[in-house]
Amino acid sequence: MKIETKLIHFSKGIILESGEKLDSFDLMVETYGDLNENKSNAILLCHAFSGNHHAAGKNDDFGVGWWDQLVGPDKPIDTNKYFVVCCNNLGGCAGSSGPASTNSSSGKVFGKSFPQVSVLDWVNSQKMLMDELNIDYWHFIAGGSLGGMQALQWSISYPDKVKKAGIFAAAAKSSSQNIAMNEVARESIRKDENFHNGDYYEHKVIPKNGIKTARMLGHITYLSEEHMDSRFGRKFQDEGSKVEESVSFEVENYLQYKGEQFSELFDANSYILMTKVMDSYDAGKDKTLVEALKDVKAELLIVGFYSDWLYPPERGKEIQIAAMNNNIKSSFVVLQGDHGHDSFLFNSETYSNLISNFIES
Amino acid sequence: MATRLSKIINSWVPENSKVIDFGCGDGSLLKELFENKQVLGYGVEINDLKIEKCIEKGIPVIKLDIDKGLNDFMSSNFDLSIMARSIQCLKNPDLALNRMLDLSKRCVVTLPNLGYWRCRINLASGKMPITPELPSSWYETENIHLCTIKDFENLCLKENISIKDKVFINRSGNQGGLSKINPNLFAVEGVYLLEK
Repeated sequence: MKIETKLIHFSKGIILESGEKLDSFDLMVETYGDLNENKSNAILLCHAFSGNHHAAGKNDDFGVGWWDQLVGPDKPIDTNKYFVVCCNNLGGCAGSSGPASTNSSSGKVFGKSFPQVSVLDWVNSQKMLMDELNIDYWHFIAGGSLGGMQALQWSISYPDKVKKAGIFAAAAKSSSQNIAMNEVARESIRKDENFHNGDYYEHKVIPKNGIKTARMLGHITYLSEEHMDSRFGRKFQDEGSKVEESVSFEVENYLQYKGEQFSELFDANSYILMTKVMDSYDAGKDKTLVEALKDVKAELLIVGFYSDWLYPPERGKEIQIAAMNNNIKSSFVVLQGDHGHDSFLFNSETYSNLISNFIES
Repeated sequence: MATRLSKIINSWVPENSKVIDFGCGDGSLLKELFENKQVLGYGVEINDLKIEKCIEKGIPVIKLDIDKGLNDFMSSNFDLSIMARSIQCLKNPDLALNRMLDLSKRCVVTLPNLGYWRCRINLASGKMPITPELPSSWYETENIHLCTIKDFENLCLKENISIKDKVFINRSGNQGGLSKINPNLFAVEGVYLLEK
């Protein structure tokens, strides 16, 4: 598979939904395969909360791509046929401009001064990327969770640029429970003594404990009760492989391990920023969702998973109903999914057939 | 779907109308209606393999258990809803019929006729009917609410549903003949256009 990873600089900057302006910014971009002659085979993948530009294949920095099960040669999103694009979103911490980047006008790290971005800002910056890559329209835009929100917003904001959109394990807006979970995560970061009100970079520390606790909580919300029971049950952790002395159960050890690993990779300010993007998203905003979708031309494939309690299938159904009221060619399918909210990341026969049939139809 | 049946349904579907097909199977009928009548059509199906086929054909489809979720789509206004050979599989066919007529102006229902003479012979010999149209044994059939032509028309009467048109199909897949004279005895299938 042909993979290209590059940092693209946007010197003219972007005016954000909040009214603030980023004078210039960078996006870390990965592409797979080749754009064909008539430029009809471009696919955009939008990453979820803690994802990045590395969607497929394996590299030293990020290991296996977050959607490698579905993206690659002869996979449902087939890189032999399609030119697949994925970027680290603005405000992230995998190479694109974010709180941990240096502000070119002050020469200092942004820290908490990095402006709050939104799903719409991401879509607008991806549109700038699209122009940069000389792509006229996306044959397909897809994403799960927060990525699905971007796919939906693309269809709303740029109706002529999207032929098909895949909205998986997503919602048109976050629920009160979603926001509540995110606030607990943010609080754990803010209360870490190394957080320094977001300017921990100059103290040469990171609020590691805070990010770790936040991630441990987040991780629970991504899995289903059934999945955790079948995977860990009430099994005890072997003495020899404990990552933390205090743990008794395997599930505790697992969360400790995952939290620890994540806290070394992810920037705390990005964590706060990304969760706020998720919380603030509301496709309908001051209108109803039906009104918000009135200009959508893309065909939609909305997939929910029964085992997902973070963005349960009912959230997808709301989008489907609004789409049908607008006479949009939209499908809504609920699959079992074995991994709770994370199910959108994993291959299953029906899921992959749906995606490849939808792309090819 | 048998050509005869789809021809009848085709003739009842207005051009450019918005249609919903409950129990759409692999989406063949909607595909035909899309090609012949330029309808905007949505299918409703519960089987994953059939849903994959709909998506493959480019037919929008919703995975839904009609018995549980029909209320959710009340806000969508359809010109026509279709339930071909499925109503007998529902837990509450009477409720479903009313719901369909709430969300669409008209509805097409087709159903196998348990009053068909071969079924009666089966029953007379003390056994549940097994015919080419109803091939499954009682313990494996999805048809939990079979009825006769007479039963169905009585239900429509009771629910104040008016029958705008009806066609009866005989064993060779045609209309007319004995099935026209005494449909309850000679029709294998009834096809109805209903309105409320």
